[in-house]
Parts: sequence; structure tokens; C-alpha cells
Amino acid sequence: MDDETKKQINERYEKHLEKGERFWPDTIFRDLIMSLGIFTLLILLATFVGIPAEPKADPSDTSYIPRPEWYFLFLFKFLALYGQLPLIGKIEWLATVLVPSVALGVLTLIPFIERSPHRHYSKRVLPISIMTIMVVGIVLLTLMSEVPTVSEDGSTLLGTLQTIAGIFIPLTAYVLLFVFKNNTRLMLWTTGLAAVSMIFISGTVLTLAPEKPTEETEVAATLVDQIFAGQDLYSVHCTECHGDDGSIAVIEGVEGLEGEKITPINSRDVLYTITDSAMLEVIAYGRPNAGMPPFGKTYGGELSKSEIDYIVVFMRYMWDDRFEVPQEALKPLFPPLAEGEVPSYDVHIQPIVKRYCISCHRPGKDNNNYLMTTYEEILTTGDNAANNIIAGDENSYLLLTIQGQPIMNPENPEEELIGVMPPTRPLKPNVVEVFLRWIMNGMPRTAAEAQALSTTPTAAPEP
Amino acid sequence: MWKNIYLWLDERIGFNGLYKNLLDRPEPKTTWWNTLGSASLFLFVLQGLTGIFLTVYYTPSPDHAYDSIQYIMEGVAFGWLIRGIHHWGATLMVILVFVHMLRVFYTASFKYPRELTWLIGIGLFLTTLGMGFTGYLLPWNQKAYWATTVGTQIAGTVPFLGEFILKALRGGPDLSALTLQRFFSAHIWMIPAALAALIGVHLFLIIKHGESHFPTKDD
Repeated sequence: MDDETKKQINERYEKHLEKGERFWPDTIFRDLIMSLGIFTLLILLATFVGIPAEPKADPSDTSYIPRPEWYFLFLFKFLALYGQLPLIGKIEWLATVLVPSVALGVLTLIPFIERSPHRHYSKRVLPISIMTIMVVGIVLLTLMSEVPTVSEDGSTLLGTLQTIAGIFIPLTAYVLLFVFKNNTRLMLWTTGLAAVSMIFISGTVLTLAPEKPTEETEVAATLVDQIFAGQDLYSVHCTECHGDDGSIAVIEGVEGLEGEKITPINSRDVLYTITDSAMLEVIAYGRPNAGMPPFGKTYGGELSKSEIDYIVVFMRYMWDDRFEVPQEALKPLFPPLAEGEVPSYDVHIQPIVKRYCISCHRPGKDNNNYLMTTYEEILTTGDNAANNIIAGDENSYLLLTIQGQPIMNPENPEEELIGVMPPTRPLKPNVVEVFLRWIMNGMPRTAAEAQALSTTPTAAPEP
Repeated sequence: MWKNIYLWLDERIGFNGLYKNLLDRPEPKTTWWNTLGSASLFLFVLQGLTGIFLTVYYTPSPDHAYDSIQYIMEGVAFGWLIRGIHHWGATLMVILVFVHMLRVFYTASFKYPRELTWLIGIGLFLTTLGMGFTGYLLPWNQKAYWATTVGTQIAGTVPFLGEFILKALRGGPDLSALTLQRFFSAHIWMIPAALAALIGVHLFLIIKHGESHFPTKDD
């Protein structure tokens, strides 16, 4: 650029300054309003949208689908599409390194590449076209980042469409733009058509894309929530051997571990001598020599890092006398029954079953096929489904076994068909009472149904 | 009394000169599009302030990072607000800086005499992305862990240097406590320092050359 042009540019700028404004207060005023608007927007976002809860990092969870930050999603999608191309698709660094570096390099050096002194849009059609197609592509690739390139039925239609919209059209448009370099009209047509067709094809892809199941991950945030989460997990995974309060010293009723002697895990011996991290380790890895299976996902179990954390928090706060349990965590398992009140599945039975029964009565355990994870299962599953629960019958197997009466095989009175339940420690009388009233009154499911069956305290005495 | 203090300060600082040089400058007619840069600066300051507050409780170790953030969200008064602003501010800052760059490109404001301002601007854009990338890992949750895993993996595909870059970013072959530690250090010390320095130069250049006017037919 020669000095004459520079002088002209500076003179033009001076003229614009003359009919312009003052930085203070004109320009600053608008800037401040903008910043204030952004600040308000942020407060609204923080208050009403918040930050989605995520479980703790778990390096062993190979089922987690890794995705980069949202502003790198377009690059991620571009890589995925590029990988589908024949031949060059195999040379990874072309797409991960070369293409981004060239794009970034051109962007950085624009002042030295676009050397014409002209600034008006009509004199910059080529660069504006290139940038527009690039931006449209970036936005569309970001929007399509969730759509798989290969559908579940093996069809590559979506992948092909994405590659056309995300790679072929922009590439063709770039070539055409350089061919039509001297014809403004053709360049504008090329850009317009490329952008419209890219948007159209991406729109098609997004409409055809399979609905993504929204995965809700439960994350216990407060201490009380963590204790409850730990309690639930403990009930499912640990109660079977350790009992609902960790006091079991001899395992009963567990296939393969019958009669195994274990240390009561609610004892001071255990709680005072084993640190949190050692406890996490034991739960995750198990104790192969003592028969305890691994529970951590890393070692083939079912529990994530966060979940094992919750179990340890639960054990500490409930059993370790050096920890003070928050009052809220001590709320009773179910509301105590008034005289004449009929319990319901939703309010009473479900939490009880979850705490005391589900550890064995769930799929994959030795339980005569009796599952108790839902209302329907409790009433209808099991080898003895017909006799387990009979409305109004005190001799329902469930009621007998929880009251210490094993069921004998009618064909062979010597053989125990079902042992007492739970195998290790009898339920507390108030829990047994809940089951008794529930079955005698026809197993109501909701609180409202139970309410309808309830009698006033002065009415007929309870069965 | 106040007057005396003012006079004493004015004698040493020279308010008039400051006012003349910084505030009382002529500008061409500006529009809302010209507010994107100052808005990015505002977000940088806001991110700095909220970030400083967050470091009071945040612990950069795999054992405690997640829990310390849980505590910020649940236990600290207005911790959820501070972290919420920091979280959404990061997203907004990336968008604003990008749109600001597009504005400068479309109006060809990067041309003489503002080429250097553009170069510094590219540096600011990259460091902003760097802030986002390093900050994303800090909550040490599943999303963060795996996003960083793929992010560093992509950096690892560079021919010849890939392995070295990967190890330098992660502090070893895998993501570990070292990764978290160095991302934290980069996020709160190294990159912000670079960012602040670049912003200083960027602002100096803007004040020196003034904001560019929107191009007219004869430009």
C-alpha cells in the first residue's frame, strides 16, 4: 500500500470523525447498556437454567460417550464425517491438524492476504463469500453433532447427507468461487445456493434424525441426599450379606456364602481403622478371598465411583459415632400407622421392601424367582406366586415367613420350601404390622386407596 | 476537604489529561455492533471476579474437585450464583468473541491501520478458547473428564510431535491428578496473564487508531 492510499484512508476517517460522536458519553453509554444486559442475562441463566448436574468423573466407565466442549463440536463432527471419506479418510492428521491449521493461518493472516485497500462489501465479495460459507458450515455441523453417521439399522443415509452438506457442498462452492472470481453476480449466486442447500440438507438430516433419549442422571447434591442415595444403594447391594444395619457376622441364605463368617461392618473395629479411601477400594475391588465380589465398574461390578462414594458416606454418618447425622437424614422409613389406618404400597410398603427385601429379590439373585422391585412384581411373580400374597389371608406365605414360620413343602413335609424371611434377622414388629395390615386389607397401591379402606379409631378392631 | 484531596490527586495524576486522552475522543457513528468488544472485556472482568471467588473453595485434586464444587453449589451462600455466572459467562464469552471477530471481518476493520489489532485479536480468540478448554476439566465430572480425553487425543494426532503434545497436556499418558493440576494452573494463572496482556495491547491500539467507521460506497 503506497503512502497516497494511506493518506486517503486517513483523510476519509477524519471526515467520519467530524460527523461522528464523542466516546464519552455517546459510545460508552451504549457499551454500558450492552454490558448491563449481558450481566442480567447471566443472572437469569444462572438462576433459572442453572448448571446440569453431572456424576463424578469415572475413568473406568467405558460406556460413557465422550463429547468435547460445545464450541469444538463442529470440529468433532467434521472429523467424524471426514473419517468416512474413502482413501484420505484414513490419514487422520490431515483433518485434525492440517485443515484447522490452514484455516486458522488464513484467518490470522487475512490483513496480509486480502491486500486491496477497499472496505465496502461490494468490493469484497470473494472473502465475504468464503467466510459466510465457513460460518454457515460451522453452525450446521454444530447443530448436527448429535446425529449419528450410521443409523441403528446400519443405514448410512444420514452420514452421506451430512457429508454432502458439511464437506462436499462447501468444497465445491469454494472451487466455483475461485473460478468465478471476476463475476460478482455468479459469486453471489454460488454463495447463496451453497448456503441454502447446506441449510436444507442439514434440516432434512435433523428431521430424519432418531429422537435421542434424554438421559436423566440422578446426582445427590446435599449431604442428606447422599446419605439417602447411599442407603438405597446399600439396601440393594449390601443388605443381602451384611444385613440392613451392617451387623451380620455370619452370612445366611446367600447361595455360595452360606455360613461364611464376616466382620460386622458397623463395628468400631471396621469404622475406626479403615479410611474412606480404603473403604472405597474394598467396595470397588471386593475381597476375593473372603467371597466378597467386586462392585466397582472398573472390576466388573455395577456401581460407579459416585455411587460407591454415597455408600461410604451413608456408612460413616449412620454407624460411625464420630460423625453427626443431620436430623433430616433420620426421618423414619415410613410414617407410623395410626390405629385403624391401612398402609399403602406407595407410602409404606415400597420403602420397606427397598430397604429390607430388594437386595435378594431382584433379577439375577437366588430368590425362587420372586421379584419385588415393583407393585406388580410383588403381587404376581415367583415360583409360589399363587400363595405368596392372598388378600385377606393371614396364611399368605409372605406373612408367615416374615413372622418366623418357614413354609414346608406340601409333598415332602421334611423339606423347607421357603425359609424365614429375611434369612438373617427378623423384621421389627412395626414393620411386620405394616405388611399384615396391608395384605389383610387387599394390598392398596396408592395412599388414596388406602385412605378409603382405613377405619376410624373407634371402629372395628384391627385384624 | 474533598476539594483539597481532589486537587492533590489531580496534581499527581492529571485527571484532565486522562479525560482528554481516554474519554473525550471523537468517534465515527457507532452502532450496537460496536459494543461486542467492550462486552467481551466486561465478560473477561466478570469471569475474573467470579473465578477468584470460586478459587476460595475449589480444590484442584481428583479426590476433592468434584466435592468442592458440590459444596460451592449447596453449602456456600450464593455459591450457585457465582458458579452459574462463571459457567454461562464462559459460553457467552466464546460466542461474543467469535461474533466480534466476524463483525470486524465483514466490515473489513482489520485493514490499514488496524492490522496489528486484528493479529492481537486472533491471539485473544485463541486464548479465550484455551480458557474454555482448561476450565471445562476443572469440575472433574464425567462430561469434563471425557471431553478433555477426546480434546487432548485430537491434539495427539499431530504428526511427529503428537505424542509429546499429548503428554505435555496430560502430564503423562493418561488423564490424572497431574492433568487437573496443570489445567488449573493454566486456567487461573498462565492463560489469564496472557489474556490480560493481549487485552492491554488491543485496547491501546483501539484508543490510538479509534474505532473504524462502517464502510461506505467510496471505501
